[in-house]
Amino acid sequence: MDGMIANWLAGTPTMAAPLLLAALGLIINERAGVLNLGAEGLMMVGALAGVMATFHAGDPWAGVAAALAASALVSLVFGLLAVVLRANQVITGLTVVAFGAGLTGLFGPPYSQAAIPSFRPLDLGLLAEIPYVGRALFGQDVLFYLGLLVTAAVWWTLHRTRLGLCLRAVGESPQAADAAGVDVQAMRIGAVTVGGMLCGLAGADVSLAASQTWVEGMTGGRGWIAVALVIFARWSPWRALLGALLFGSIEALIPRIQATGTNAPTFLLKMLPYLATLAVLVVTALARRPGQTAPQALALPYLREDRRD
Amino acid sequence: MMALALSSRRHVTRLQSTGALLGGVLFGLAISLALLLAQGIAITAVFAEFVGFVFLSDAGLASVAVEATPLVLAGLAGAVALKVRFWNIGIEGQLWLGAIGATGVALYDAGPEGMRLALMAAAAMAAGAAWIAIPALLRIRLGVNEIIATLLLNYVAFLLVQHLVFGAWKDPQQNFPYTAGFDAPVEQLARLGWGKTHAGLLIALAAVALVWLLTERSRLGAYMRAVGASPEVARATGVPVLLTVVAAVALSGALAGLAGFSVAAGEEHRLTQHLGLGYGFSGILIAFLGRFRALGVLVAGVLVAGLYVAGKSLQQFYQLPAALIELIQAIILFSVVGADFFARYRIHRG
Repeated sequence: MDGMIANWLAGTPTMAAPLLLAALGLIINERAGVLNLGAEGLMMVGALAGVMATFHAGDPWAGVAAALAASALVSLVFGLLAVVLRANQVITGLTVVAFGAGLTGLFGPPYSQAAIPSFRPLDLGLLAEIPYVGRALFGQDVLFYLGLLVTAAVWWTLHRTRLGLCLRAVGESPQAADAAGVDVQAMRIGAVTVGGMLCGLAGADVSLAASQTWVEGMTGGRGWIAVALVIFARWSPWRALLGALLFGSIEALIPRIQATGTNAPTFLLKMLPYLATLAVLVVTALARRPGQTAPQALALPYLREDRRD
Repeated sequence: MMALALSSRRHVTRLQSTGALLGGVLFGLAISLALLLAQGIAITAVFAEFVGFVFLSDAGLASVAVEATPLVLAGLAGAVALKVRFWNIGIEGQLWLGAIGATGVALYDAGPEGMRLALMAAAAMAAGAAWIAIPALLRIRLGVNEIIATLLLNYVAFLLVQHLVFGAWKDPQQNFPYTAGFDAPVEQLARLGWGKTHAGLLIALAAVALVWLLTERSRLGAYMRAVGASPEVARATGVPVLLTVVAAVALSGALAGLAGFSVAAGEEHRLTQHLGLGYGFSGILIAFLGRFRALGVLVAGVLVAGLYVAGKSLQQFYQLPAALIELIQAIILFSVVGADFFARYRIHRG
């Protein structure tokens, strides 16, 4: 029992990290008033780009760089359509998912199950031998710790800098932000790009740290779970960390249950993360209190109406 | 540098809207063509497949009709829900549930043989409607976002099918993850004698007619338009908003379930592991290309079916992955939503 709980806790951060990174990326998007449902597609692109570059360069950090670059490119397509051309953000985001699935399905097969150097859990010696929580806290891969840093950085930027203030203003009231001299469109394109890159990094985390190879469809709906996670987190980076750990612990539970040798039906077990996400959405809706709603201008394109006729 | 400014057009004419749609489709097709050429396919081969085989040969047209059958149903499912501002991203899940419902009736030989197909269709529609009832209820009662809820249920439905075809419903005679075959002829949709087309095609055409009647010629359709334009105004003018949304959403789920019935009883003749994959996004694409109207969905469904057929033969002859079809659909939809900009806004000197 001792071993099982320690294993479960130790497995949780690996599962939580991609959800956290993607949710942070989406928080940046949504705080600027852009609903980006393409997280799943951006994660797929990041996951494959990461494996491709790592396979050829022999270094997982090259994979991280490639994942960031590839997801930035796809995000710019999304930004061009959703921000510059004011296309419906829901349909454009969905199309990003199909685009990511199509793109990775086309270029992925040669890298399927490829053996690549990957991010391994760090070995911090004695610290990792603390009972129960040792490996969970001190024996994770570097991308998880990076995720913690990014959480702090996103919170700091959003709530303690002028840039963050402008970004949130653009998401709450683009008219007022525009009148105050903030370039709404540039702000949104920036948020879409940086946020999308975090989604790509989340994908690279799945392929380079969690699975250590490429398998088609490997992101398995984590991008969508991240979309739900943002609602649960009420657009706050710290609550996103909490939620990611919660969802990650549910995902990490599945292999532990299977390892106990009980004859639990595999496919029904695999439903757990999706059903849990749905349940959390319901609980979040039930517990809704005033003042914790989405950014006011979320999913609304901005147009400065300077009609002269 | 000359500054440009934008203003939205107060009234978008049908010519502007159709022009943007056609321009968007053509631009998307041009990019897709470049992609195919980059994959090393000769331009003559592309035209031979896409135009020659698909739309100018009898065998090709028959294959298009087969593919179009569930696609049109899925497109209608997307369109009727979107008409009342309900994003049904769960078409694929409802389609899976429809296939499960139809398969259940077939495997357990429920009801008299003469009624079997009708029962299968009814079970499929009921299962599809029941599956969408969950996110519909959650949104209406609690305000849970239906986009995420319908989408999450796709994964659950897919895993449920895997659970069945690897478990209780697995064909005992075979070592593959699918159910036993449906009995011919009482559990299979009759072939129409044109390629592999089956009676599902007639069902899909009837569904187009029914949705057209409902949305363009009935009171429900008028209510749906009112709710789609503005739920607040609709409520203020006495439209039963809740009832209208429930009716449209249930119809959407039932249509998606019917698509699952059509694939299972008309094409595969059993429940298989991959039968529903890809229909969700295609349904949304077709609804969009068809401008959420019944006849538009029919036309768009046939065009996307052409893409499926051409894609499948390119897959066979050039070993291109099936994902290429999805990629091309995404490129076309990107292009169409982008092109809409030029219909909706006017660019002038600032």
